[in-house]
Amino acid sequence: MNAARVLGATYAADRTEPLHLRRRPRAGLNVMRLLLILVALGFLVLFIGMPLVVVFSQALSKGWHTYVAAIADPNALAAIRLTVLVAAIAVPSNLVFGVAASWAIAKFEFRGKSALITLIDLPFAVSPVISGLIYVLLFGASGWFGPWLMEHDIRIMFAVPGIVLATTFVTFPFVARELIPVMQAQGKDDEETALSLGASGWQTFWFVTLPNIRWGLLYGVLLCNARAMGEFGAVSVVSGHIRGLTNTMPLHVEILYNEYNYAAAFAVASLLALLALMTLAGKSLLEWRRPELKYGALSADRQTKRGMT
Amino acid sequence: MSISLRGVSKQFGLFAALDDIDLDVPGGALLALLGPSGCGKTTLLRIIAGLETPERGQVYFGGQDATLWPVRERKVGFVFQHYALFRHMTVEENVAFGLRVKPWRERPSRTEIRNKVRSLLELVQLDWAGPRFPAQLSGGQRQRIALARALAVDPQVLLLDEPFGALDTRVRHELRRWLRRLHDELHFTSVFVTHDQQEALDVADTIVVLNRGRIEQVGAPGEVFDAPVSGFVHRFLGEVNELPVRFEQGRARVGPLDLAASEGIAPGSVALVRPHELEVLSEGAGWPAVVSAVREIGAIARLELAVEGRAQGDAPLEAEISRERLANEHFKVGQNVQLRLRRWRIYPAAA
Repeated sequence: MNAARVLGATYAADRTEPLHLRRRPRAGLNVMRLLLILVALGFLVLFIGMPLVVVFSQALSKGWHTYVAAIADPNALAAIRLTVLVAAIAVPSNLVFGVAASWAIAKFEFRGKSALITLIDLPFAVSPVISGLIYVLLFGASGWFGPWLMEHDIRIMFAVPGIVLATTFVTFPFVARELIPVMQAQGKDDEETALSLGASGWQTFWFVTLPNIRWGLLYGVLLCNARAMGEFGAVSVVSGHIRGLTNTMPLHVEILYNEYNYAAAFAVASLLALLALMTLAGKSLLEWRRPELKYGALSADRQTKRGMT
Repeated sequence: MSISLRGVSKQFGLFAALDDIDLDVPGGALLALLGPSGCGKTTLLRIIAGLETPERGQVYFGGQDATLWPVRERKVGFVFQHYALFRHMTVEENVAFGLRVKPWRERPSRTEIRNKVRSLLELVQLDWAGPRFPAQLSGGQRQRIALARALAVDPQVLLLDEPFGALDTRVRHELRRWLRRLHDELHFTSVFVTHDQQEALDVADTIVVLNRGRIEQVGAPGEVFDAPVSGFVHRFLGEVNELPVRFEQGRARVGPLDLAASEGIAPGSVALVRPHELEVLSEGAGWPAVVSAVREIGAIARLELAVEGRAQGDAPLEAEISRERLANEHFKVGQNVQLRLRRWRIYPAAA
């Protein structure tokens, strides 16, 4: 009893002492906080908000008619088609590669694993222009494979294959980078269980692994697609800027801009900006859906409990 | 199906997880692999399952060399500590998984699958849970679903990796009972891994004690508890008092007690006495001690006892008596008592 009282007393002392020492948020701190928030907001508006507004206002500065005309221009349409085509090839290939690589890295132990992880990061570390130059050095007229390719009449540089290659290289890490942590966090228990239940490797992948990673995968694909359509540097080096043939949307924007055709340049740019906004919206939707799924299970749990009592 | 291991070794980098393991699991046995964390018990289980391959040695299933058989061909049910239920599938779909992935020709019809799933869910007493998702079940329920799922493919061997480790004491106790009953009804060979000696003693009919990748002892629960072959096994299977053996005039002594036979006792040996083997008497002849603490723990009471000549850093001796005796004898802190050793075992220093 006595001991309890003593313990109680020290406990109370422990609780009260820090309260005396604890600093209350003072007015000065509030001003500081406000200032920091303003600086951050100002930065956001200046560097991200304003450019977006400028893109759309410039695009529409000469009215709807010019806007539609700029996009309906045959060269612009060709650029849009090419961009979509390149993304349609680069994104699925990186999807397959990314899933395979992250599956291997997260679920297996093998020699050279860290080398593979470094390789996957390489496109992030290298400047896109250098990435483009690599392909010129490999497949260009005076490159390693250039003469052989010329002999067999295969065009890679300044043609669609080169653009696809450069884009695939630059967007290489997106899917894998997104999936590796997801897969590592999930561990191998589910897959090992499936195998012990008699599932084949493919069945394990389709029925167990893929459903577990689907949200991360979708997220990675969205980012990969945004970058594939927006890539400028690497594509600029390998494309040759042939109007109506090897110009992607970003390259087309640059050409129009250099010709002082601002309204048209911004009209095409606004399409890219729209794509970016849609990607971000999709991404937020995903982030919103994932916890929503969890809460859905929780509320169902609550319902069953209520049903049982 | 009987399982045999011959000279199985496994290395992780420089660390020898398993070192030359020989083990026979007779068909129909319920065997516990018991040991502290890092002793290699889980690795051994995974080697039996085919989830790891041994560097050396052979694994035999019913006399056939199964060392290189892939997991899916071994027909083992494997249950993980954290259940590993497929969270995007309902309970029914989870249990049906092993049947649905069978090759087209061996796959039972939809009705057969449905009936089998229903009977399995009844077996684990969760027939109402079919359309639920794993997230909607409690830990104990999830582990029972994991078991039902493993049983769906009619395994001849059931392997469980710390199956009750993540559950609270009461649920764990219930599931132990239930696993034992299930095993007795279905007659498969079961091997489970645990670090909890109570669980091993309670459930298994054979216990394999592992230490640092080697087997210390194999035996029935009573056998390993009563006749441990090493100090490690003795200490691991329950609490012990450690009493150093002294030599006086060529006779081995523990405390003031003369150990009749001193042959074969090396210097530095230690006598291990379990708390219930230490008798506490309020009077008479014995080893004088002073009660330094009395703790009442449910049906039993523990006395901490200070004896003369024990080094400063050593833990006080502990004796276990019934609450009834405590009430009759009125042991109190500070009281002088006499100790007697009812049983003891002596081990050389290194063990």
